[in-house]
Amino acid sequence: MQHKTLLARPLARRGRRTLGAAAAALALAALAACSAPAASSSGGDSGEIILGRSMDVSTLDPERSLCDSCQIYNAAVYDTLLAATTADGDLQPLLAQTWEANDDNTEFTFHLDPAAVFSDGSPVEAKDVKWSFERLANLKGDPSYFMAGVKTVAAPDAATVVVTTQAPNSAFFNVVTAGYTGIINSDVAIENGATADKDAAKTDKAEQWFLKNSAGAGQYVLTSYEEGSQLVLSENENYWGDDKPNFKKVVIKDVPDASTQLQQLQQGDIDVAMQLSFDTLDQVEGDESLTSEVVPTYNYVYLGISPGAADAPKALDDQRVREALRKAIDYDTVIDATVAGKGSKQASAIPNGFEGSDGLEVPDYDPEGAKALLAEAGVSNLKLEATYPTFTIYGVNFSTMFQSIQQSMKKAGIELTLNPLDYTAWGTKFGAGELPLTAVYFAPDHPDAVQYFQYFSLAKDASWLGYSGMTENTKETKGVAKALTQTGDARTATYSELGQDMIDDAIILPVVNPQVILASGSNVSGNNYHVTRNIDLRQLKFTD
Amino acid sequence: MLRYTLKRLAIMPLLLWGIVTIAFFLSHSISSNPLASIVGTRNLGNADVVAAATQRWGLDKSLLQQYLIYIGNLLHGDLGTSFRTKEPVASDLSSRLPATLELALFALIIAVVLGIVLGVVAARNNGRVLDGGLRTLALVGSSTPVFWVALLLLFVFYARLGIAAGPGRLSSRVDPPPYVTGMYTLDSLLAGNLPLFTDALSHLILPSIVMALPLLGTIIRMVRAQVLEEQSSDFVRTARAKGMTPSQVMNRHVVKNAITPVITVVGISVGMLIMGAVMVETIFTWNGIGTYAVEASRSLDFPAITGVCLVGGVIFLVSNLVTDIAYAIIDPRVRL
Repeated sequence: MQHKTLLARPLARRGRRTLGAAAAALALAALAACSAPAASSSGGDSGEIILGRSMDVSTLDPERSLCDSCQIYNAAVYDTLLAATTADGDLQPLLAQTWEANDDNTEFTFHLDPAAVFSDGSPVEAKDVKWSFERLANLKGDPSYFMAGVKTVAAPDAATVVVTTQAPNSAFFNVVTAGYTGIINSDVAIENGATADKDAAKTDKAEQWFLKNSAGAGQYVLTSYEEGSQLVLSENENYWGDDKPNFKKVVIKDVPDASTQLQQLQQGDIDVAMQLSFDTLDQVEGDESLTSEVVPTYNYVYLGISPGAADAPKALDDQRVREALRKAIDYDTVIDATVAGKGSKQASAIPNGFEGSDGLEVPDYDPEGAKALLAEAGVSNLKLEATYPTFTIYGVNFSTMFQSIQQSMKKAGIELTLNPLDYTAWGTKFGAGELPLTAVYFAPDHPDAVQYFQYFSLAKDASWLGYSGMTENTKETKGVAKALTQTGDARTATYSELGQDMIDDAIILPVVNPQVILASGSNVSGNNYHVTRNIDLRQLKFTD
Repeated sequence: MLRYTLKRLAIMPLLLWGIVTIAFFLSHSISSNPLASIVGTRNLGNADVVAAATQRWGLDKSLLQQYLIYIGNLLHGDLGTSFRTKEPVASDLSSRLPATLELALFALIIAVVLGIVLGVVAARNNGRVLDGGLRTLALVGSSTPVFWVALLLLFVFYARLGIAAGPGRLSSRVDPPPYVTGMYTLDSLLAGNLPLFTDALSHLILPSIVMALPLLGTIIRMVRAQVLEEQSSDFVRTARAKGMTPSQVMNRHVVKNAITPVITVVGISVGMLIMGAVMVETIFTWNGIGTYAVEASRSLDFPAITGVCLVGGVIFLVSNLVTDIAYAIIDPRVRL
């Protein structure tokens, strides 16, 4: 016992000292907590703008990337040959000062702006364009389809690029407005492990370098990227264009939760909140320190039907049954339930506002009409399983959407069971074409509607021809080929015809074309939704 | 004790190999294909893109081949490259672990200091209103869902009152200190930047309180019960009979003995705090290992999943060893 007492004293003192130190630390912490957090200096003063969004960056190598956040990054850092305007996607010069196509739209010539330089001051030359396009194709990464159909890329001189395609492609000028086709400083990239060779998919080693560095001719350069935290861009001091960057620094903070985005916007911790949910709209509009606007987008969520899936009910082979499903969706209720009514119905896979969408008839909820079609097809007690990923995209929660659809289909005599899966499990089945009925989303890559036929139609090589398990619709194959030989009104008419063909296929049933809240601090102007950039940083400005 | 410690350290690589092997095969046993996360939704049906990604990430090899390659690389300190972040897993872990360690450490300090103090106060006021209040606090702390408390605190103290720092490890428009340990409070002090230290500290308050609450409740209840038990012990009666004042008895005998079991709880909790920080990190946008683990699981990022399991294993093994040693140091009856 005596031994214990002797030992206990120093230990007890040490314990008191430890506790004392810890208590002091706690007191200090409490002091820090009680003192108001460091007041955010106005972004206008510092030239630093902070955007809050749920980041979905897949990579910062522009030729491997494919995501909404990548669109912002690529456009800011890697200037493209041409640019599309925010409002209508009209073509504007960027690295290419002038451009022209041959008569049959198989040869596209770009004349580079002699003033264009990369961020290291070296000139943007035709060899860089050739190298970038070839790498984009040969990497076989996610955005490699932008180069589909390109036969050769030639650089006859330092300022001229000639692209030839295997078949007419009047959409090509639109394609090269997408940030994924941004031009990379080939010398710098090659030095750091990049290659454009045929075997680039196996031999290119530059992806990790691109996560920490950039080599573009855009307004900004990459300063740092911390996955799950933030992406920091700095002004490109060598920017060659007349429109100099509006900010010294652009920070895109990863704020996954929409309500946290609002809180941070209200507290001045971010200047722009990109993904607010519509249930907070009253709060946003009622806050005098904020500026907000609700605008339409080209994004949409759709139901995709795969009659060829192994477990698909035989009834789905019948077009009338698929048409009945279209009529059995109460679109207005779904739009109310998912985006508080801030969305539109959409006729076909061509989003509202894109070339060819005008004049196509938007669907209406018609349970009686659905019943009649099912009866005509000799189908009764139709039972379907909807398998979908459990996430929210463009404000649309897929579970909420399907619960609403389930109710509306019930009135048409269709029994829908819901099978929500996590994204990877869903993606595995979707990629394998195993889902008779699912929901997916789509945002445009570039301002040309041809992308919708190349992805959603039943034309040869279209993605959904594979997913749906249907046979090729040769009329659509010919229609797409024909459209790509055309320009102007003739092409618009062909696009519209193809849109109607896709409606008649009844494979893709667009459900909601959501709007978006553009919310920012009141000292920010020019907040926007851009067709290929998601948000165009060139238009954003501080007013103070 | 040295022999015991060396023996425990010597067996650790074997245990870690076991953890890695189980984690590797368990994660690969799921029927989903990680390519669904590697390749974008748009290209899941694109045979060229899928084939290139399969080859690039070594998913065309047999499971055994993948395992042998992984173990071979691991022996050279290479934890592989994350499918999701495209960065080396070791680099991902080293950037995220300090954030979680810092948070867990503060939560631990809050829970232990407040837990012991409040537990003693409750015991000394046994049966009184204060005791009832503290017991209620302990119960609420242990049983309230972490995400709810986190959202509530953020809403009230950050969004409404504006007196607490918001999500993130630092305020907006504040740059992190130069990297030394990766813990912003420590690194800012090392850089001699006191305003930055205060900023980092202020951002730790709400998440560490939320993280500490369940453990705090446990410690309050444990200390209270132990103090009450010790107070009726023979040696306490003897000490009183020898003429020691009640506060001397409490400080020198009762509290010391009462807090010994806390060491066990703390030892077990360190690992759980670190590896269970997911919810707090998500709500407070704290880019730590918890959110990394969740994202890795969601995307079937095999190298990241295995890497997280390895780090978790090290943390649990080390914290258990430290607990055992601490126990032996404090309580001479324990022989190692």
